[in-house]
Amino acid sequence: MTNAPHILVIDDEPQILRAIRTILTEKGFRVTTASRGEEGLTLAATNEPDLIILDLGLPDMDGVEVCTRLREWTQTPIIILSVRDSERDKVAALDMGADDYLTKPFGIEELLARVRVALRHSGRASESQSKVVKAGPITIDLVWHLVKRGEEEIKLTATEYKLLAYLASNHGRVLTHQSILTNVWGAADADHTEYLRVYMRQLRKKLEDDPESPQYILTEPGIGYRFIADE
Amino acid sequence: MNSAAMRSLSIILRVWQYALSFMLIVALTAIFFALREVLETTLIALLYLIPLGIITAFWGLGPGISSALIAFLAFNYFFIQPYYTFTVHRPTDVVILVVFLIVAVVISQLVGRAQTGLAAATARELEATQLYELSTALTGLHDDYAIAQILAKQVQAVSRGEYVELNITGTRPFAFHLPEIEPPNRPPELVVPIQAARGDLGEIRLWRAGLAISSAEKRLLQTFASQGALALERTWLAQAESRARVLEESDRLKSAILSSVSHELRTPLSTIKAAASSLRGKEVSWDSPARAELIAAIDDEADHLNLLVGNLLDMSRIESGALKPKREWNILSEIVGSVLARMRHLAVEHKIEIDMPEDLPLVPVDYVQMEQVFTNLVSNSLKYAPANTVVGIRAKAEDESIRVQVSNQGPQVPPEHLERIFDKFYRITAAERVTGTGLGLSICKGIIEAHGGRIWAENLSDGFAFNFTLPLTWDGAQPPRIPMDTEVE
Repeated sequence: MTNAPHILVIDDEPQILRAIRTILTEKGFRVTTASRGEEGLTLAATNEPDLIILDLGLPDMDGVEVCTRLREWTQTPIIILSVRDSERDKVAALDMGADDYLTKPFGIEELLARVRVALRHSGRASESQSKVVKAGPITIDLVWHLVKRGEEEIKLTATEYKLLAYLASNHGRVLTHQSILTNVWGAADADHTEYLRVYMRQLRKKLEDDPESPQYILTEPGIGYRFIADE
Repeated sequence: MNSAAMRSLSIILRVWQYALSFMLIVALTAIFFALREVLETTLIALLYLIPLGIITAFWGLGPGISSALIAFLAFNYFFIQPYYTFTVHRPTDVVILVVFLIVAVVISQLVGRAQTGLAAATARELEATQLYELSTALTGLHDDYAIAQILAKQVQAVSRGEYVELNITGTRPFAFHLPEIEPPNRPPELVVPIQAARGDLGEIRLWRAGLAISSAEKRLLQTFASQGALALERTWLAQAESRARVLEESDRLKSAILSSVSHELRTPLSTIKAAASSLRGKEVSWDSPARAELIAAIDDEADHLNLLVGNLLDMSRIESGALKPKREWNILSEIVGSVLARMRHLAVEHKIEIDMPEDLPLVPVDYVQMEQVFTNLVSNSLKYAPANTVVGIRAKAEDESIRVQVSNQGPQVPPEHLERIFDKFYRITAAERVTGTGLGLSICKGIIEAHGGRIWAENLSDGFAFNFTLPLTWDGAQPPRIPMDTEVE
């Protein structure tokens, strides 16, 4: 089991540490825990974990700062934990380089799904990106810029395609409004969330079976969007 | 009008009064002279007294006395023999002359004194009227700024000063200027402290060049200041009292929250405790269907607890005024869609119908808070409406706002409760029959009002509905135009 992914959990609440450690160990991961920010930073440097789960509300330092300090030297995926109503902090941490987030209290399937996605993206960063993303009947060919439902081609405008390609190549991960706007429209339009709202509606109309209750393009309230592809 | 001009005007008036008095005496002397042969000397002396009385009555003591002296000389010169001299030969004429002089002067003085007394009485009456006007204007005012405004206006009206400044100290010091310009570049002519029983509340500063401020005016302004002080003190006391009442109210509310919360929190906790302990023990066998049910109960009740805690946090945020919507231009149907996706497992017994026009404009709202509003309204509708009925969500754009209705086919609400269902902890049904903190609807109200909208409930012919409006403009800005591209890929 030495090849099992190594996860560092930084959280100051012993009960949460106990629960996460039990579950992740059960699922075959190696788990190290830290209850303070400084301790977490040291362990991240010495143990070289494959993934870091970081609580934003630490007693000794700001979680966003831990995130920033980690990103100074490592690209290890970071999943942040936080309570409801701290959207501002979550967005700050995500824009600082965190990969995903979970709102406490969370279900264990959610945690495992986030861990899987984060590990997959970090593994792929070194390899070549996947060229074709499948989501139900939808196929997105990122090389040929082709989007199909079954065999039928879906016509997209240039911006719609750019948006979908960005979402699909990061499938499973949350993408903040700012990161989508910057990547698709450019840094000058980073505040125009209304562009996103309107274009997402267009995309959903073309891709989703029921645009009012989407299955592939999910809204993360107050944070951004997430594209759900087949595993 | 400035005071220098007024002063010269009053001098001109005075000179004019003397001139008129003398002219009157001269005119009468001419008439008497023409009738000298007919009238007796004593009668002429008596007739002279009439104009003297009139002059004193109208123009005061000065013109009166001087007219009496002129009349005395004219009488002696023209009507006492020998004529055209000031000498007197007959002893009776001496008596007439002396009596005339005494009577004329005494009449002038008496009338003059009555006149002065009348003027003083009029001045006192004016003062009393002005004071009465001030105190009438000040009654019923509960705002220190309004009091300062009235006081400054009245001070300026009675003093005819060019500039009045009121400096009010106290917990929230401020200054009031009349007119609203910079004060003159010199020290004020008069400073009157506004004093109350518990000390200085501020001061009135009056600028008036020219006419010096008389002691009567100073006294009047002091009375004004103490009236103002009384009004200010009354206002501050009333404010302190209402603050105390608010504190008392919030104290009462806190204990209501505590008792409601401990009741509400204990219910899911009891379920979780019972389920978890029975799973831990030997009572439930591994393959029993009860096992799955107990686990589901723990999961559901944990979600329920989370919702309760969230509601409490929202409420405290609304109460403390910390609920600031983070507005962005949003599509309402996207918000509704994500709410319904999350609530799908709760709505299995009901049919949810959405009627939102495709071309509904973008609304400037906080996405997360509006999700909260829809979640609470829909879950409230699901809670009270019987199974197999329709819960409708409709939206339409009106002039400057968007109107949303969440309706259900549940029981109607007695009209007297329609307003109050948005109050905290307000329940129509007994608490034991329906779960919840009793905070959901008041949170909706808090959020909608923070967005500048309005929320109300109404009975429908076949059920009940919540309505709310949201403004379509954001700080005056209209919904933005989105640059759209054409299909090229």
